[in-house]
Amino acid sequence: MKPAPFEYHAPETIADAVGLLAQHGDDAKPLAGGQSLVPLLSLRLTRFDHLVDLNKIGALSGISRDNGHVVIGAMTRHRAVELDPSIATSVPMLAAAMPWIGHFQIRNRGTIGGSIAHADPAAELPAVAAALDAELEITSKSGVRRVAAADFFQGTFMTAIDTGELLTAARFPVWGKGSGFAFTEFARRSGDFAIAGVGVGLEATGGKITRAAIAFMGMGPVPVRATDAEKALLGVSIASLDAAAVARVAVGATDPTGDVHASAANRTKIATHLAEQALTRAASNAAANA
Amino acid sequence: MAQAHVPMADKHRDRAPLFEGTAARFVGQKVLRKEDPRLVTGHGQYVDDIVLPGMVHAAFLRSNVAKGRITKLDTSPALALDGVIAVYTHADLRYVPGTIVATMMQAMGGAACPENLLATDDVRFVGDCIAVVVAESRYIAEDALELIDLVVVAETPVVNLEEALTDTHIVHKELGTNITGTIDIPRDPHIEGLLTESAHVVTATFNQARQTNSPMETRGIVASWDRFRGELQLHMSNQNPHEMRRRAADLLAVDESKVHVAQQDVGGGFGQKMFMPREEAVIVLLSREVGRPLKWIEDRRENLMASNHARRDRATVTFALDADKKIVAGYVDINEDAGAYPFGGAGAGAMAGMLLQGPYKLQRTAFKSYAVFTNTCGRAAYRGPWQFESVIREQMVEHVARRIGIDPVELRRRNVIQWEDLPWTTPMQVMVYDNMSPAETLDQAVEMIGYEAFRAEQKRAFEEEGRLLGIGFSLYIEPSAQNMGALATEGATVQISGTGKVDVFMGTGSHGQSIETTMAQIVAEELGVHVDDVEVHQGDSNTPFGGGTGGSRTASIVSGAGRAAAIQVRQKVFQIAAHLLEANPDDLEIDSSVISVKGTPAGKTVTLAQVSHTALYATEGLPPGMETGLEATARHRQEAVTWSNACHVCTVEINRNTGAVSFARYIVSEDCGLMINPMVVEGQVAGGVVQGIAGVLYEDFRYDADGNPLTTTFMDYLLPTAAEVPIIEHGHIETPSNTPGGYKGMGEGGAIGAPPCVFNAVADALWLLGVEVFDHPLGPNEILDALATAG
Repeated sequence: MKPAPFEYHAPETIADAVGLLAQHGDDAKPLAGGQSLVPLLSLRLTRFDHLVDLNKIGALSGISRDNGHVVIGAMTRHRAVELDPSIATSVPMLAAAMPWIGHFQIRNRGTIGGSIAHADPAAELPAVAAALDAELEITSKSGVRRVAAADFFQGTFMTAIDTGELLTAARFPVWGKGSGFAFTEFARRSGDFAIAGVGVGLEATGGKITRAAIAFMGMGPVPVRATDAEKALLGVSIASLDAAAVARVAVGATDPTGDVHASAANRTKIATHLAEQALTRAASNAAANA
Repeated sequence: MAQAHVPMADKHRDRAPLFEGTAARFVGQKVLRKEDPRLVTGHGQYVDDIVLPGMVHAAFLRSNVAKGRITKLDTSPALALDGVIAVYTHADLRYVPGTIVATMMQAMGGAACPENLLATDDVRFVGDCIAVVVAESRYIAEDALELIDLVVVAETPVVNLEEALTDTHIVHKELGTNITGTIDIPRDPHIEGLLTESAHVVTATFNQARQTNSPMETRGIVASWDRFRGELQLHMSNQNPHEMRRRAADLLAVDESKVHVAQQDVGGGFGQKMFMPREEAVIVLLSREVGRPLKWIEDRRENLMASNHARRDRATVTFALDADKKIVAGYVDINEDAGAYPFGGAGAGAMAGMLLQGPYKLQRTAFKSYAVFTNTCGRAAYRGPWQFESVIREQMVEHVARRIGIDPVELRRRNVIQWEDLPWTTPMQVMVYDNMSPAETLDQAVEMIGYEAFRAEQKRAFEEEGRLLGIGFSLYIEPSAQNMGALATEGATVQISGTGKVDVFMGTGSHGQSIETTMAQIVAEELGVHVDDVEVHQGDSNTPFGGGTGGSRTASIVSGAGRAAAIQVRQKVFQIAAHLLEANPDDLEIDSSVISVKGTPAGKTVTLAQVSHTALYATEGLPPGMETGLEATARHRQEAVTWSNACHVCTVEINRNTGAVSFARYIVSEDCGLMINPMVVEGQVAGGVVQGIAGVLYEDFRYDADGNPLTTTFMDYLLPTAAEVPIIEHGHIETPSNTPGGYKGMGEGGAIGAPPCVFNAVADALWLLGVEVFDHPLGPNEILDALATAG
């Protein structure tokens, strides 16, 4: 279980990193926290002639505010986000999702950008990014572009990042007063990739829902937004929300496949239950935040 | 945490008193493990820590199809890679047939399957070894594997028991059939009558899921051949250094005295490392060809898919009960999946069949058992290799209870063997139970769990809240410390140094059993020294011959040898001390290494160090004619197996939305005779219980229809972690066995009792909805499927 040979690069600036990525094209892969990439390399399920280690690029780490968004540098460790008290109030769904990511040892090393760029359909951060309509900041030699989460996740392990490009930050919008969030998932063991999971955000004004976001993970090749259910929620009284009924509609947007841990039908059953739980909790959090 | 401790009567009152002339201080105490300071701080020394000058590394090319013909195998591109030293295939191995077969199995008729160390002209499971690369590093070796030009034409594999039985496709063409190890004890007319005409006759079929041993340390070996001495030095992760020495000597056709096997720490085995596996045999053979120290470390994927599997069993069982609900006859038809290349014997069906009655007064049994080869990873022993008997019986007892409408505890109480029934001869007249307490452990477990109160809460929670709580029991006996062949014997050498410190040499292969602690307790007790003054040296073939660490044999057999050697040394200590003190040896006692005359607290004393100094350095001071030194070697021969027994009970709740099972309580009432170290006993119980929980709820090695393994990493093959398992509560009953120390083997019991206990608790919860289940595993997917069948 040893990786195929590769050349190791450790640039110290974003410019040098994207320069290397441009130079080596598809033969190069950025190395962030290594929590997914290194096992894949060791199992020889993937191989690259060049690894561009981002760990020496200080500019890629950090949490800041910009124009109604929380901007998280791609190399910011999960644990740093989890332990940052401002995230719990500015992007509560993200804060709620963090403890579900692997084990704390993994969160100490794993990065926000690494997880989003890896685009595992059963991972938490892609689902949160999709739910919140996060923007992903992608840098290349020719500049910086922003891609909406809806366009970023294109398939299992596939994203809008092109050859020579690097994910440099994720921008999460800050919701207003009257918003409430929840994130939950079901895994066979503590810290495992989930069989299914869901993030829910609700915002209400005068007791009526004005904004709704529901995103599932593990329920398709990419995070799945339940747009029909979201639309149906608009204008509904948050106090009398029928979470079970909404959950049934929401899960209709998903198209899961089965694996050794759960059939597609049982995934759907579990996801429906999780959605109901998350909707109830998000509604209660929103009411408390009114 | 609840604790209960009940001593039972000693049926062997003529036993020599324990610890004569010493103060009992260490045996029976929770002595802290001597192994722990290094192990829990991460400073154990495992085989991959061995680095020898000039060492080179091996990697195996393995099949990625379950069955197929090799039409091309060109290793020259690999050989051309920089850093590659050699590439070997089957044709290059100078293998002498029969030399890999476990010594114990040679006496029992030889190998169950062909001895293809590397594939000959075909491959027989995914993971089958085809070639081996030797290179300057493991990285280069794995790069080279990719360069080997291999073409395999896939054939239809045999993936499961049912397919294997039809013999439509054959795993081993040399054998012509997939069926092996058939034992048929037919039903005589009397049993036949009982099984058809009794008041209650119930039949059910149960399946157990495929599980693998998953030791923390995978297998590994460093083989170093010294061509000038003509000697082989083996560092090897194993349970059985003397067996490894014998196999390596036979493989290389050298004298056993030319092979030395040594290991430091071994990170678990559970049966996987008891005998010589194929890969290690290849490394031994090649060590002489390569001429440099050769290392192979199994990686985790190899360990999961190609080391050994176990537990894939199916049984159809029939119980007949009379009008009083006494079980009067039982019959079981057992099928075991042996995989392609089982080692250490194809299966354990015979033992499972013979133990069907377990702790019950079931007078008439018969069984049929056969193993089948499949194109899957080979079977080998896994902690409690024949535990299927308890799975079948204990699941059946509760199934029968549900079907005929009797409480499962009451059904057990009507049938369980009582103290006054002992000794009790099993239906097939081959085993005699004695010194056991199944009825007492059942009572203790029932009391500890609060059975009646739980049933009331279960009813209330279901009726008022729709919650699914369940309770499950399992009651079993464990034949441990076998009394046959090499397994019946162990030796120990006890030596006292000139400074009064004690060295003990034993032939064991500890891989987590706390042998360095428990055996030191035994010797310390007999010698009257502090346990810290005793060092146990083991895991080395330069020790008295032993049958290896496995089969729950150390506590009673190895301790018997250690105790006997210590007693001999103590007697000599007293003779020398008597000479120095001018006293009678019979009047002496020793405590904390100080020898004194009994009953004279202020009298003259002499220390053990003074005595040993006299024996080794001041030999003129010895009694006239006495041999110098303080050392003795003794052997123990096990006359009869010991019978441990236990009752497990657990309570669970099923989440109806996710299918998840959570534990409320888990209780084990165990009788393993007198306990050397209750903390070690509880640790052994707990470890086994976790593996048993895993077999029902988490671990499930899966193949697809083409024989491709689907669970080859710990992401998919789920070992439970501390977060998934309950706190285990222990009850102890101590019925001394008829061995010198009164101990019984107990290392496997947790893994035997837990699977049916957990299964029964889940089945009990599902029965609230009228749903029945019969098969392991019971992961969330299976539970949701079962819940979907509820009306």
